[in-house]
Parts: sequence; C-alpha cells; structure tokens
Amino acid sequence: MFVDTSGRRARLLRRIGLLLGAGCLGYAAVLGAAFMGWGTSLTPSQLLPFAGAGPGGGPGGPGAPGVPTAPPGAGTAVPTPLPTASAAAASD
Amino acid sequence: MTTTTPSRGRRRAPSRMERAAGRAAALQRPRVILALLLLLALVCVMLLDGYLRAEVGGDQRVRTGASSSDVPDDVLNGGPIVTFRGGQATTVSVPDRTIALTFDDGPNPTWTPEVLEILEKYDVPATFFLVGSMVSRYPGIVADMVEQGHEVGIHTFTHVDLSYQSDARVRREMEQTQLALAGAAGITTTLFRAPYSSQTDAIDNYSWPVYKKLGQDGYTSVFVDTDSDDWKRPGVAKIVQWATPEKNKGASVLFHDAGGERSQTIAALPKYIEKMRAKGYTFTTISGVMEKQQAPAGAPQAGGTRLQAAHREATGAILYEGRALVAAVTVAEWAVPTLSVGLMVVGVAVMGRFGMMLLLARRHHRQRNRRRFSWGPPVTRPVSVIVPAYNEKECIANTLHSLARSTHPIEIIVVDDGSTDGTADIAESLGMPNVRVIRQANAGKPAALNHGVRSARYDIVVMMDGDTVFEPDTVRQLVQPFADPEVGAVAGNAKVGNRTTVIGAWQHIEYVMGFNLDRRMYDLLRCMPTIPGAIGAFRREAVLQVGGMSEDTLAEDTDITIALHRAGWRVVYQEHARAWTEAPGSLKQLWSQRYRWSYGTMQALWKHRKTMTDKGPSGRFGRVGMPLVVLFQIVTPVFAPLIDVFTVYAMIFVDFQASLLAWFAVLGVQLLCAAYAFRLDREKYRYLLMMPLQQLAYRQMMYLVLIHSCVTALTGGRLRWQKLKRTGEVGTPAGAG
Repeated sequence: MFVDTSGRRARLLRRIGLLLGAGCLGYAAVLGAAFMGWGTSLTPSQLLPFAGAGPGGGPGGPGAPGVPTAPPGAGTAVPTPLPTASAAAASD
Repeated sequence: MTTTTPSRGRRRAPSRMERAAGRAAALQRPRVILALLLLLALVCVMLLDGYLRAEVGGDQRVRTGASSSDVPDDVLNGGPIVTFRGGQATTVSVPDRTIALTFDDGPNPTWTPEVLEILEKYDVPATFFLVGSMVSRYPGIVADMVEQGHEVGIHTFTHVDLSYQSDARVRREMEQTQLALAGAAGITTTLFRAPYSSQTDAIDNYSWPVYKKLGQDGYTSVFVDTDSDDWKRPGVAKIVQWATPEKNKGASVLFHDAGGERSQTIAALPKYIEKMRAKGYTFTTISGVMEKQQAPAGAPQAGGTRLQAAHREATGAILYEGRALVAAVTVAEWAVPTLSVGLMVVGVAVMGRFGMMLLLARRHHRQRNRRRFSWGPPVTRPVSVIVPAYNEKECIANTLHSLARSTHPIEIIVVDDGSTDGTADIAESLGMPNVRVIRQANAGKPAALNHGVRSARYDIVVMMDGDTVFEPDTVRQLVQPFADPEVGAVAGNAKVGNRTTVIGAWQHIEYVMGFNLDRRMYDLLRCMPTIPGAIGAFRREAVLQVGGMSEDTLAEDTDITIALHRAGWRVVYQEHARAWTEAPGSLKQLWSQRYRWSYGTMQALWKHRKTMTDKGPSGRFGRVGMPLVVLFQIVTPVFAPLIDVFTVYAMIFVDFQASLLAWFAVLGVQLLCAAYAFRLDREKYRYLLMMPLQQLAYRQMMYLVLIHSCVTALTGGRLRWQKLKRTGEVGTPAGAG
C-alpha cells in the first residue's frame, strides 16, 4: 500500500513542500519588514505638508519613497512655495 | 484532547533495519524544516491577527487631567490644524462658513460604505482619519474612499494613546499605517490625528511632545473644533446640534464611522449636511482648508488633487511592502477563522467521543459481567497457541513458562523466523512436552503466523508476541467467546508490564484507556478495528477463509481484523484475558513503533476502502468503523496541534486565566475518562498523576508521528518493520496490577 516506486509522487510533494516553505518564509519576512519598519521610513521631505500642491509637486512628485535620504531638517530637495525645514528644532 | 491510539499491544518482526532507519532519517530532515516553517508562518498569522484585533500590544490606557503648562498658548487657542513648518508650530483655522467633515476610527465594513454613499449623494468631500489595522483588513473601502476624492489621514495603527508610547512605537504606528495605506490605495499621507485627541485646548504636557515630534517628521496634526459626540449615541437631533459651530464660524467637525454601532451617525449626517448647506456653508477637506488659508491668491488646481493635496503617491519599496502587508493580512483574516472552525470540529469530535466511550464502555462492562451472561456452553477443547519469535532470547523463556501454567489445555507452536540469537534453541532446550518449535528462514511476522496457523492442530488459534507473558487463566478466558458461533476472533487485554518509568506510565495510561474505553465501544458497535498482536484468538477456518495474514500492510493485525469483519465474522473484546507486554522503553523506540502503527493502520484502511460502499457486514464496518477510526485515529490527531497552538495563543494574548481554566477543564474530562477506565480494569489510580505531564509531551509526540506517517504515505516512501529492543524484564505478575 502507498508505495510509489517511480518516485514521481515524492518529487511532486517535494516541490509542493518547497513552495510551501518558501511561502511561509516569505510571509514571515513580509511581516518582519512591515512591523520592524525596514525600508519604509518616510523622510520629512516626503511628508512636508502640502509640498505637493506647489508647481512641480503633485502626486508622485517628491523623491522616491523608501530611499533613505537626508536627515530631518535638511530636506530641501522638494520645491515648495514656502521655506522648507531649516531649523534644527522647534522652539516653543 | 487525546490522540490516544487504541493500543494493540506490541508487534514485531524481522527486518533490514539499518537501511530503513538511514533512509527514514534522510527523509525526515526536510520535513522538520518544513514543519518549523509552517509553525513559524502559523505563529506569524496568529500574532498578526492578534495585533490587528489589538490583542497583541494593545494598550487601553488614556490620559486625562494632565497639565498643559508646556504647550504654547498660540497652539492651545489656535485653529485645529497644527503644522511645524520650519520647526515652528503654526496653527491654521477653518475659514468662516466652511466645514471640514472628519471621520475617525474607520474603515468599518458596515458603516463606512454607508457614510461614503451619503457623501457621494450630497457631493461632499470629507477627511477620514483611519486606523491602520482596519485599513489593512478592509483595503477595498479605503481604495473607494480615495477614488471618490476624500482625503485620508493617519489615526495610528492600533488606536493607542501615543502619549504613553515610546518614540519607536510611535514611529512604528505611523509607518505601519502608511504601509497599509500604500497597500490599500497606493498613497501615503501627511495628515495625522491622535487617538483620544479633541480640541487644541485639550493638548497637555504629555501629548504635546508627540505632536511636536511628528510635526518635525513632517506630519500635520489635525484637531477638532466641534465634536458631534456621536459615539455617545445621544440621538440624531443632539448629534446635529453638537456638530454645528456657533454663529457662522468655520469648523473641523468630528464624526465617527467606526468603533461601535453608528446608525445614529448615518441618520444624522444627511440632516447635518442639509442644515449647514441651508446656512450657506461649504464643505471641504483639510487640504482644502489649508489651501484657502495659505494661498488665497494662488491659481487653484483641479479639484481632485487640490482636496487631496495631503496624499502622496506611494512608489517603490513602500508600495510593494504595503501590498504584501495587505495580502498577508488577507491571508490571516482568512486563515484564523478557518483554523478556528477546524479547532471546533476537533473539540466537538473529541468531546463527543469521550461521551460515547463512557456510555458504551459502561454498557459493555455491565453486559459482559452480568451473572447470567455467558457466550454459550463453556469452551474446554484444546487450542493452539502460536508464538512468532525473532531474536527473542531475553523473553522467550518467560513467555513459554507463563504458557506452561495455563489452566486451559494448549499446544504451543513457536515459529522461529530465522532468529540469529538462538531463540529456537532456547525454546527447545526448555524441554516442555507441549511445545513444538518450527524454524523458517526469515520471512516476516505475517509469514511466521501463517506458518503457525497451517501447522496448528486445533480449530482455535491464539496469537501472541514472543515477549508477552500470559496469566494462567488468560487462554481460558480468551477463548470462551467462541462458544458463540458468530464470533470469529477475540481481542484480549494487553497490559504494560514496565510501567515504572515515565514513558512506561504514559503508555500504561494509554493502554488502559485504549482497551477499556475504545475497544469496549468498538465491540458494542461491532467494528473493532484491531486485534492486538500481543493477544488475540481466531477461528482457524476464519483466518484461512480470508487468506491468512497478509503482507500488504505493516499492520497485519488491523488488516486481518477488517478482513474478518468483511467476511461477516464478529470480533469481540474479552477484558478478562490479560497479557503482559513490555512497552518501548525509550522515546526513539516508541516513535518507531507508533510510526509503524499509524502508517500500517492507514495502509489497512486504504486497502479496505471499498467497504464504504459494500453491502452487509462489510458495509457496516465501512460505514461505522471506518469513519470512526479515520476521525479519531487520523483526523483528530492531525489537527490536535491546533489545540495546543490556540491554547498558547489564547493564554498569551486573550485571557490567561480563562484559557488555563479551559485547559484544565479538558484535562479534567480526560482524567475522568481515564479514571473510569482504570476503575473498570481495577488498576491503581496513582499512575494518573502522570497524566498532566502526558498532555504536555506525549500527545505532541503522537501527533508528530501521525503527521510524519501521513506524509510518508503521501510521498509513497517505503517503511519497514523495525525490531524493538527488549530487556525481558516483564514477568508474570503476581496480581492484576
């Protein structure tokens, strides 16, 4: 009973197992990345309020998200109608 | 929940072990890795599910009544939109006769679509502050929302009071929500509203640093001018009244489209919109307000983008990670309910089984022990006892001596299956008059049994293992049911002799339960699946009728039992015929024994699968016995790990006490069943002390074995007999326990 001498079933199952394993690993990786924040931090230049409303802005205008860019306070790459962040800290 | 395999005593036979063991090890490595990966994915799914439902890391604390001495007065008294352009807090207020409708806590699958429908009907744009976990669970609603021209902002991922959280947690809350938005609607946003926030004058010393920090990161914090307080469900009139600003001032107005029953909000919304329109108000989004206030001279852009100026198109890593996250959440949303249903099925099946076993075991016990009960005229004619032996030098003498004390006339046939340790010589040297030793070349246990059956002089044959010890009365008790001409075979009661070790005690519990509950139940249902190899009696003609022991499966005892059912013979359980057997002493040996049993059982069930459509007694077994065996010996144990995983999950993330209590309740039911089984067999209760530990180690091993053999069956790999190591320590017991 059950014995498959051709090995075809074992090969098929091995492939399914490989796929399944890869899927599981991928799943864990996705969650790890999403919840650890790998490769997803947005820089102020990508967030600055309403920068996109100005000429040359608009959706998709700002630099590619996900690319680690300048630290806070130096994000001057995006043209905005108002002065961009230049102060190091907020003054109360 | 038990995964007890009804014990069948022990079977053994010759084999080419080392090769098989080596092959098995080579087969197992990828399986272990795959099993661990599956477990990892399952844990991920459950953690994600717990997180999304705020069972993981959920924080219910809300701060009230703190001082606001550190918050600038400009902010406390300013408009509801706070930006930190250039590091300096700036507030923006809503222009007169303008309403910025804001909805918090969504999306919700019930209420949000209704809100969107109303807004579309009145052509009113609004701003939704979304909870990231809900975005990832209902991405379609968010996509519709953005498509319809509404603006979205972040309301954190899990709706926590950020003033209690670390910087890292705050950052994660924001980033995760951005990911969810990217995955759901392909955008990110710069708008933010803190959970539990309200008017700007309610900002306190604890929340202010959060706004400041997020503002420096580029976020615009949005507060409230008029709060509809719709979550209090005060009635439509009150909601409309509370949401209406004084005079003709503009306002950022707070409604909720989620977080509870929102039918009053749905009813109030059209009334509110109509009322404000009548007063000459216009509606806009937060971006709309910003544009009106900041660039009154600037050329307005096209409406859609203008009102959604806070959105950024997500590209690259964020977009793909966001989509992956949404997909992962979809999988979890789908997997957890499926697993829960599986768990319920297993739970109900296991509990039902316990109930049925208790009921039928009681009935069986009463029926068979009634004073007037008898199988017919006492069976006194001599019978043949067949002892297949392969390398049993430690045990064979014990076995034969115990048979010599039999109170029933017997002839003993020792079939030596090519032993290399002189087993046959030992048997012959004992010089017992009624012992015949037959030698054959190594051909396996089924062949040895068939050889013995062919050589038997009498019409009833008793089969036992070469390492099993009978009580003097055992054979007499075992053959009494043959007084009933319908009975074709009898299963005896195998007992674990070496029960002083932990493994031995576990198997002892398992055997007592298996024989006193399972077998009694199967007997009454007339579908006994297995006569244990350690002790069973057959009508010789019945065995010959079904073609003898077959080598088709590794469980020749299950195989022949089912074959007897198919031929119309009745198979009964005789509790008073006891055989003492040596259970595997190490986990490794136990593993290989059970591996063979479960694989063999599956082979036998598969071999006889046609019984399910047969007529007569064969069909009876197929429709009653087969489903029971499949459900309780294969399906339930395979899904049993779910029980453990869910228990651990519930203990950590839901309610530790309740889960622990549930676990103990299940253990209690099992203990009760076990205690009843012990009572029926007059066993000492003290072994039951091992039961809680059994639930933590033994059960897990049993389902791993089962899953392992299922996979072996699927792959079509070959599995061979493996000889168990014996010490010969089991002797004739003085009493019954």
